[in-house]
Amino acid sequence: MELKELSRYSDAVNELLARYGVKFGIYKNNTFKEQLFPFDMIPRVIEGEEFAYLERGLKQRVQALNLFIQDIYHDKKIIRDGVVPEEFVYAGSGYLAQCEGVMPPKGIYSHISGIDLVQSKDGTWYILEDNLRIPSGASYPMIARDLCRKSMPQIFQENPIADNRNYAKLLRRTMDHVNTGGHTVILTPGRYNAAYFEHSYLAEQTGAHLVTGSELIVENDHLYFIDFSGKKERVGAVYRRISDDYLDPMHFREDSVIGIPHVYDIYQKGNVALINAPGNGVADDKGIYYFVPKMIRYYLGEEAILHNAPTYLPYYEEDMKYVLEHFDQLVLKDVAEAGGYGVVFGSKLTREEKDHFLSMLKAEPRRFIAQEVIDFLDIDIVEGDKAVPRKADLRAFVLMGEEPMVWKSGLTRFSRNPDSFIVNSSQGGGFKDTWVLSR
Amino acid sequence: MGIISVEHTNQLFWLGRYSERVYTTLNIFADRFDSMIDLDTDKYEEFCLLQEIPNIYTSKEDFASRYCFDERDPNSVYSNLIRAYDNAIVLREEIGSLTLSYIQLAVYAMNKAKESPAPLLELQHVRDNIVAFWGIVDDSIDDEHVRSIIKFGKRLERIDLYARMRMDDKEMRREVARLNFRIERTGLSYSRKKLAHINYLVEDAPICYGKLVEEIESLCQC
Repeated sequence: MELKELSRYSDAVNELLARYGVKFGIYKNNTFKEQLFPFDMIPRVIEGEEFAYLERGLKQRVQALNLFIQDIYHDKKIIRDGVVPEEFVYAGSGYLAQCEGVMPPKGIYSHISGIDLVQSKDGTWYILEDNLRIPSGASYPMIARDLCRKSMPQIFQENPIADNRNYAKLLRRTMDHVNTGGHTVILTPGRYNAAYFEHSYLAEQTGAHLVTGSELIVENDHLYFIDFSGKKERVGAVYRRISDDYLDPMHFREDSVIGIPHVYDIYQKGNVALINAPGNGVADDKGIYYFVPKMIRYYLGEEAILHNAPTYLPYYEEDMKYVLEHFDQLVLKDVAEAGGYGVVFGSKLTREEKDHFLSMLKAEPRRFIAQEVIDFLDIDIVEGDKAVPRKADLRAFVLMGEEPMVWKSGLTRFSRNPDSFIVNSSQGGGFKDTWVLSR
Repeated sequence: MGIISVEHTNQLFWLGRYSERVYTTLNIFADRFDSMIDLDTDKYEEFCLLQEIPNIYTSKEDFASRYCFDERDPNSVYSNLIRAYDNAIVLREEIGSLTLSYIQLAVYAMNKAKESPAPLLELQHVRDNIVAFWGIVDDSIDDEHVRSIIKFGKRLERIDLYARMRMDDKEMRREVARLNFRIERTGLSYSRKKLAHINYLVEDAPICYGKLVEEIESLCQC
């Protein structure tokens, strides 16, 4: 297809995305603003065989992560056996003591996992990050695909591109699988949340009710939705899009006004499913990431199919030595940060900034990880009438129902800045459709 | 009927009211502004008085600009459209993305009109999108209660605005008849006594408009 044509379609598709309110919220200077998420028409294409490899690796990884969370909150064998040091488990902000001994319905912790990957220039895929708390982003390619099919029907007719619009069905199946009886709801903090579009779109597409905490009540050990006439309807599954801290003021942050008082009590009794389970942060901490290949070996007796980016933990003396010696070639990440924040490229710091950073690193080595800078494969985007290369990652979604299911698509995010590796929407990135070829 | 919370019921009702407020005030404004051009240049004062909004305007030009587009003026058409949007945006799973998109388009059209060299002409697109919104409400919302609550808000708001603007008794009777038809389909509780009184008030001319506004505002406390 001609670039000029793609550029024209790109404008039309972006106009329609704006019409459907495909936005994300952002706070700047304490003011909430809604921003459009720029869409690029040139898709990321993944061959069927390559995706099958990713699928195997992603399923393996998410199974191991689920087993890890269960182990940490129950037997702690992996700690006892010295595979993961306890400092990394208990010192991280993602570990919740309140989850000790609690088994979620059907034993599933991470129902929806967003695994971030990048492909290097030699074609190798690397896992960059696991997101097991509230990974977002599936709604954007879902709605964009509908528009792409309309703008380029001949391409979809002539190529075996897997239909990604089944995400809502997969999600519904995932939620129904753990539902303990009653309605399924999506719990949102409200319209001023960054991902509110996604909350409302997924509710529309899955047929779940979008609710805020004030519309739900715990009574007689069950959760109820109160309708406008005062009638109470039982709720059996809550796909909560609010963080653990705010979920239940009786157990977590007591100043939370967006949670549901006592919901954690009935979750502990198995009377409602919380999707994803509280406490998952223990497994997607950037420090724990280092240990995932070891977890796979430990729990599944297999070698990891997908590679981690080469990672160093300054917590270990040997790794600290390496980091100090190779500082300018590494990217340093603050384990407590997300969304592309707290990421520092050693080579881009001034002398003073570097000195300041090194003093922090030495004072709090557990707070940082260091990674080799992976030279991502550039993907073209349309800019005016030209195609220009930009860095891009892929967030793959793995849903855990009866079996793990990998969505045959994903969110490809790209940096619009030619000199940047940061692809996050909150930092000005855009997104693409991800085409998985079925053969 | 699917389950709807009190909060969403309230938002559906106010989505109906605010979208109607935008549409009808733009229609009335277009009509009244025409005579302000060369016949009755101070007519905006009467407009404010009837609408019971503070006359903060310094001239007909200031009125045309700020009444339509001033986002800091809570009585402007712009502010009312943003309120319609604020209610619509939280109702995506009730009304659907398609229905919601027409309110979004009205917001874009309003912003475009604001920047246009001929803003009053461009406002036609805002009205067009609100009309399309009503069309799609009828066409694509399957749940009769959801549809009826929005339309109940619309009917109630129109009577309120028409009464304030002293529309003739024939128009008032037509709108009250539409309200009678719609209110039964909402499933909401309301005062039957007040509805009967509203019907009585529009039966014969001259209509007591002040009393009608009062009764309409207290018919259903959503």
